Amino acid sequence: MKAAWLILLFLAFPATGLAAEQDDPEDGLSWLKKMASASRRLNYSGTFVHRHADQAETSRIVHYVNAAGGEFEKLETLDGTAREIIRTNDQVTYYLPDTKTVIIEKRVPRRIPALQPEQLADVSQNYLVRKRGMDRVAGFGCREVVLEPRDNLRYGYQFCIEAGSGLPLRARTLNEDKKPIESFAFTDLKIGGRFNRDKVKSRYAAEVRHWKIDRSALAVAEVPADTGWVLIQQPPGFRKLMELKRSLAGRAGAVSHIVYSDGLAAVSVFIEPLPKILPARSLSHQGAVNIYTRAVADYLVTVLGETPAATVMQIANSLEFRGAAK
Amino acid sequence: MDKISALMDGELDERQSRQLFSRLKQDQELLQCWRTFHLIGDALRGERALSDDFDRRLGSRLLSEPTVLAPRRSTARHITAYALSAAASLSAVAWVGWVAFSGNPLVPQSPIAQAPSTPNTPRPVTSPPPTQMTSIPSDGRMNEYLIAHQEFSPSTAIQGVAPYIRGVSDTQMVTGRQ
Repeated sequence: MKAAWLILLFLAFPATGLAAEQDDPEDGLSWLKKMASASRRLNYSGTFVHRHADQAETSRIVHYVNAAGGEFEKLETLDGTAREIIRTNDQVTYYLPDTKTVIIEKRVPRRIPALQPEQLADVSQNYLVRKRGMDRVAGFGCREVVLEPRDNLRYGYQFCIEAGSGLPLRARTLNEDKKPIESFAFTDLKIGGRFNRDKVKSRYAAEVRHWKIDRSALAVAEVPADTGWVLIQQPPGFRKLMELKRSLAGRAGAVSHIVYSDGLAAVSVFIEPLPKILPARSLSHQGAVNIYTRAVADYLVTVLGETPAATVMQIANSLEFRGAAK
Repeated sequence: MDKISALMDGELDERQSRQLFSRLKQDQELLQCWRTFHLIGDALRGERALSDDFDRRLGSRLLSEPTVLAPRRSTARHITAYALSAAASLSAVAWVGWVAFSGNPLVPQSPIAQAPSTPNTPRPVTSPPPTQMTSIPSDGRMNEYLIAHQEFSPSTAIQGVAPYIRGVSDTQMVTGRQ
């Protein structure tokens, strides 16, 4: 009886229950590390809600890794127009039943392995990582880990990480006022289970041969390059991750793409020739991502990243063309 | 939603219509549906169509940018708005409906909104740069950049499910490509 009361108390006050063991940065980092690979390593299936601005959308995900390490994944939207995405390793297939269209895309294998040691060092330099108490999401006990930004150039993060597997059950991005601006959370989840190819098969597999197939997205080209662009004032904590020239849908020529990161958040800079009609300087946002566009000399500069608008604008405003890149 | 289109087509009887009308008054989502379907109808009949939710957006835009009178979204980019904003999104329904009729989702020919642009051509400037920068929700014109960015973002990589969420949005985006 006594034990039952303890459990009840624990469920009712999850955050206070284990308040004594918070604030260990090393421990917080090791939780982050555990989380970083979990979602790609584990078998799981579940339903999650993604919130941004005042919208919420629910999707279902099934993720399997076979014995050979191959990844299979199926994602489908549960509200609104039906959409289904099947991923087999780096090939992504989108099913759009309303227009009877299939879009096939190859994802470049992720070039940024999540949280390598170097990145972890950057993360702890730019964020205060704290391990918090336990909470409960989708029926699973999870450990809260909070990343507080050390300055106002970046956002904060809150993760609730499933205690056994390391799977992130809830992730929130917090703005300067510590208000969530984007979040996802599982509402229903099953971790583990045997691999079953049928569960990651499209429900449209049988009819799809009559559909329109679009492979145009397969032809994405990119090469590392010195673009000739530099930041006069690099925001503290950010370093250049990569610099390349790439194709971008809808643009005839190559676009320069430079990525800066603080270990967690990234800011991308895109530079392309000015269109004939000058677009207005603009600031917009999508979830936690801020996007700023301006003209610099004869170029159109678009800077975006999951950082406060001021960071994105600061980067855009300190870009300068130094080199003679073609 | 089915009921709304039935209502518009005059397929509901008087009692059903009355019921639906009273629901329309209470249910914001349903009301948006109703407006959107009319928008699609207008577009199909070639009538000068205002963009979805025009009244509300005009109001809010007028507050921040008094000079803007024309919506400047291109229809192709409406696509993007859809998956990003799920069921309740007007633009989504508008786009989906429109595409279903146009027969070719990948080559939009006549935008619903009167913005004469495609992803390939520079978009006309319809407003002077605002004197004060206020951030507006992205209307999908930036989606190619967003996709390209996401591949490199460590925070995307560690959040696990997050990339796939954006993956859903990719769908729209990809469809918007030319």
